[in-house]
Amino acid sequence: MVDGVPAVEAVGLVKRFGGLTAVDHVDLRVDVGEVYGILGPNGAGKTTFLRMLFGLIRPDAGTLRVFGRTWAEAGPAMLDGVAGFIESPRFYPYLSGRRNLELLAGLDGGDADSRIDQVLDVVDLAGRAGDKVGGYSFGMRQRLGVAASLLRDPRLLVLDEPANGLDPAGIRDMRALVTRLAGSGLTVLLSSHNMDEVEEICDNVTIMRTGRVVYHGSIDQLRAQAPDPSHRLATSDDEQAMRLSAEHPAVSVTAHHDGGLALRAQTADADGYLIALGRAGVAVRALHLEIAPLESLFFMLTETDPATGSAPAGLPRQPRDLTGATP
Amino acid sequence: MTTPATTTPTAGPAAVRPRPVGRGRVIIAYRWEITKLVAQARTRATLAVCLIAPFVFVVLLDRQDRLPKDTLYGRWVHASGFATPLLILGFAAQWVFPLLTSIVAGDIFASEDQHGTWKTILTRSHSRSQIFWAKSLAAATFAVLVVTVLALSCLTAGVLLVGHQPLEGLSGTLLPPGRTAGLVLAAWATALPPLLGFTALGIMLSVLTRSSPAGIVGPIILGLLMQLYAFLNGADTIRHLLLVTPFDAWHGLFAAHPYYGPLRDGTFVSVAYIVICLAVAFTALRRRDITGG
Repeated sequence: MVDGVPAVEAVGLVKRFGGLTAVDHVDLRVDVGEVYGILGPNGAGKTTFLRMLFGLIRPDAGTLRVFGRTWAEAGPAMLDGVAGFIESPRFYPYLSGRRNLELLAGLDGGDADSRIDQVLDVVDLAGRAGDKVGGYSFGMRQRLGVAASLLRDPRLLVLDEPANGLDPAGIRDMRALVTRLAGSGLTVLLSSHNMDEVEEICDNVTIMRTGRVVYHGSIDQLRAQAPDPSHRLATSDDEQAMRLSAEHPAVSVTAHHDGGLALRAQTADADGYLIALGRAGVAVRALHLEIAPLESLFFMLTETDPATGSAPAGLPRQPRDLTGATP
Repeated sequence: MTTPATTTPTAGPAAVRPRPVGRGRVIIAYRWEITKLVAQARTRATLAVCLIAPFVFVVLLDRQDRLPKDTLYGRWVHASGFATPLLILGFAAQWVFPLLTSIVAGDIFASEDQHGTWKTILTRSHSRSQIFWAKSLAAATFAVLVVTVLALSCLTAGVLLVGHQPLEGLSGTLLPPGRTAGLVLAAWATALPPLLGFTALGIMLSVLTRSSPAGIVGPIILGLLMQLYAFLNGADTIRHLLLVTPFDAWHGLFAAHPYYGPLRDGTFVSVAYIVICLAVAFTALRRRDITGG
């Protein structure tokens, strides 16, 4: 590996399916050692991008390099050091988990077969490795997918919505596993439609919407741009609470469409306002976070205005480079 | 889940043992295709039927007085055990051979679509070309194996249950048992080129339709349509270009003065089918976008 060569570099990448442009001039750069998130709602083009990365589909325009190599130059060798799965990992249901891994290790070559027991331990499937995959739960298949990826001893791990379809315990375990893998120095490229997941795991993020990049930068910079958190507030006297908000300019209090009040403010400002409510004899009966700041920004960036079919006015329509780095 | 201590990045792929390249990778993938076939109940059941069915067939024929006289060697099935494999060979050419080979050939590519496993195997270190040739080779292996098992089973069932009496050739001369056994096996061997033609046809349909039922049933229907055309006494040139015509090429072996023209022509036709079908399938697989699964 040449120093400074990014793990993944896409320039002007385009993929069309008939009249639909699934990936529209996407630029993206993932540096070695980074934990990078691709975020977007369903249909944003995340999976299409990852399929191009794995050579499963070919781009119509642009270039995609993995550790400096393109598919046209290197063929399957482009995937040396790369592992992961697209959407849910799939296996042969009539073979056991271990037999599936043996098959994949055989295709990988090298010493992949010597790691089968180790990777089964990593994903807690050693006890069920002899069972046919047809009898596995969704979560077990997901974990077997991670095991199959680790067999390749990858430098770049690509995971497409790894927590998708898992129960809460499975999501927790999967995130913990990805965090540990990332902590070991692995470059991780993770796609998700879940802002919390990306915020928890990733350093940098690209947000896609209808095939285009609408944001890329660090999670910290994204956080700085996020709007105030939105809470739903129930009080003993909503009218007085609205009047009191006038004395707190950093706080926005409006009538909530489902009853009660909507409170938008940074945490410190909200604290001051709530204390003032108490002092004024207005009891706070309920306060809960409705939309987290990053989630709110995610919706702003990715939701389509039903009237115009485009991003709401005032929101970024073009990719923004908040880092100042060339993507 | 435990700490993935074993997965700490190493120096990368260059640090591990050298990986096989080119044909070496095809052989590895071929070995795994064979392993997958062995693990499937359908392939095991097909081989078991090919092994057992001839014995059942001979026992049932032995218990009935009426003989299938309208079929070549049908009137000889009680007189010589060597007639049994030839009777079954003539019958199998109609639709059994296309069925036997397409059970694997028609499914071997489409099953990856069915299971959504293209992305699993194509994101490892093998190219589409290597996977294509490995699968095609595995389908051909199964075709040869299943016909070999059926041929040996038919011959064994006939000889064991009826006997090894001399058999009358198509010119009316009696053939001694030793020579007849060799001719019977040679006759079955002549079925291999068109059988592999049907294998290639199944592979092509499996790749193009991405559907196992279409890949399996398609060659059978096409085979029956070709048989129908042959029965209609249509243009002779077209009849010679049909993939079912070479299945009759063995008749020349049983003449008093053997003739091999149909065998030679049938082999050319079969090879043409194999080349064209595999070329279409190969191109389609290389060009397609793997979007499912």
